[in-house]
Amino acid sequence: MTGKGALIDQMGVALVAVLGVAAFFVFPEDLGFMTRIAATALYVLSLDLILGYGGIPSMGQAALFGAGAYAAGIASIRLVQDPIVLLGIGGVVGGLVALVTGTLILRARGLTLLMLTIAVGEIVREVVNKARDYTGGSDGLGGVSAAPVFGTFRFDMYGRTGYLFALTVLVIGILVARRIVRSPFGLACRGVKEDPLRVVALGGRPRRYLIVMYGISGVFAGVAGAVTAVTSGIVGLDSVSFSWSAEALVMLVLGGAGRLCGAIIGTVGFMTIHHILSAADPFRWMLVIGAMLVAIVLFVPGGIVAVLDPAIARFRKRAEAKR
Amino acid sequence: MIGGVLEIRHLSRKFGGLDACSDITLYIEEGERLALIGPNGAGKTTFVNMVTGVLPPSGGAIHLDGRDITRLAAPARVKRGLVRSFQIARLFRGMTAREHLELAILEREGKTYRVFSSVKRMAGVEDEARTYLDEMGLGAVAERPVGMLAYGQQRLLEIALALALKPRFLILDEPAAGVPHGESQRILDALDRLPPSLAVLMVEHDMDLVSRFARRVVVLSQGKLLCDGTPGEIMADPRVREVYLGVRADAG
Ligand SMILES: Nc1ncnc2c1ncn2[C@@H]1O[C@H](COP(=O)(O)OP(=O)(O)O)[C@@H](O)[C@H]1O
Ligand SMILES: [Mg+2]
Repeated sequence: MTGKGALIDQMGVALVAVLGVAAFFVFPEDLGFMTRIAATALYVLSLDLILGYGGIPSMGQAALFGAGAYAAGIASIRLVQDPIVLLGIGGVVGGLVALVTGTLILRARGLTLLMLTIAVGEIVREVVNKARDYTGGSDGLGGVSAAPVFGTFRFDMYGRTGYLFALTVLVIGILVARRIVRSPFGLACRGVKEDPLRVVALGGRPRRYLIVMYGISGVFAGVAGAVTAVTSGIVGLDSVSFSWSAEALVMLVLGGAGRLCGAIIGTVGFMTIHHILSAADPFRWMLVIGAMLVAIVLFVPGGIVAVLDPAIARFRKRAEAKR
Repeated sequence: MIGGVLEIRHLSRKFGGLDACSDITLYIEEGERLALIGPNGAGKTTFVNMVTGVLPPSGGAIHLDGRDITRLAAPARVKRGLVRSFQIARLFRGMTAREHLELAILEREGKTYRVFSSVKRMAGVEDEARTYLDEMGLGAVAERPVGMLAYGQQRLLEIALALALKPRFLILDEPAAGVPHGESQRILDALDRLPPSLAVLMVEHDMDLVSRFARRVVVLSQGKLLCDGTPGEIMADPRVREVYLGVRADAG
């Protein structure tokens, strides 16, 4: 990372935590919506790990998210209620689905790979749809419930615990993701993204790196799905739908891929606009999002973060001048 | 093993009906400074690709230290000390020069699957990266994305990367191609400082560079080894003149 972007990345985590807690007090009526934003941000972050840091284009990320959501949901009904354990189950199942499918599809590259990710998404959706006894099929899985967090904090009807739970998981998720992308492994994956054959000449195995990164991404997506299941109490077929995969890509591109904080900014931006506009004008909000996306792709390929960078650089210069 | 670090026996490669390389036998020993020359289309790149494991041969065998590596995957050959640099600087454009060296060092040490450790805090990696960069005079540009470096600097980085892998056998594909004259001296200096035990095969067009670097030259023409000798012998060989002059005249 070059110096310019470093500050936004450092401040990013603290900022998410502070703003997230502030929002808890400022918008007590919207906790349910904000909980969804936090879980979705983690989901989009999982896509950034493979797209932004591995160069894998995916339109099937919902398969990993949904696998985690259904696994946690089914486990809560049949096995355990502890929310932390449920997140663990979601993460493990998401990671396993990613490892298995990744091993199969990551032989391909480019457009072929993109098609294969879509195919995986559709297969997982069909499996979920057919396994009615477990998943509730098209009716969805209702009655998902979790025990109090650490045996103390009950998931209340106002969604306070749910929101703080989701926010905490998101902050931890960002910290872990940041650690991963700055590790030797993260460096190797960035190399693969730029030129796999060059990595081979250094003695690395590009496909193996990508499969591991895909698995890690599956863990993040699975945990995000589990957070959604635990905090909302339901899991529906929409969580494994193609449009949910596509939305993740839209949010990531809006915010800026390959920067982690871009995933957060893109999710908050997209979902807030969606929330406000779809209430005001349920039919035309897609048009606004579409126009925004075209504008971003055409004029600022780095996404919203790229727009913020110069402003932050100026802010830092001023702060340094004062010292 | 007949004392050779790398033994290539009857190596061949066909593309359809074309013999890009046919029946090439070559022993390369420890500490050797060997140049491979030949006109365009002679099969040099095909040969390098087969030796490094990027292209499967149609026939023949490659042995490294007496072990058959003909079917070994390319990354595994690198791990055994068989390293190449690319003719066209082939770098990670968005990464800094320091990050390039760090990745090479981590690959060499087999530490690239460490998911939770921080590169910055890993003892010695950053310092070693600096050593290689300083050696090539790249210390001042270590923190710049390599896409912003001058072409000559990128070539030097290519060589630094190869060296950071601590090869025992190094293939340099036209290391001075496209480098302005003032900077090619720096590349020659760097080559002069290579460890004496390292075996080097340089693929090159520039006879001037070849005669200053190599102690032995092999000539490839139409996929076949034409001759083998000291630079002086090769330059005096009428067959070589014919091959070179003929092609140069054709090319205008
Ligand atoms: N992938 C390929 N498919 C078909 N023909 C090839 C391929 N690669 C090289 N050739 C042919 O093999 C011959 C040798 O090419 P090459 O090894 O690139 O020569 P050099 O590097 O000496 O210029 C040329 O005639 C070239 O056209
Ligand atoms: Mg060539």
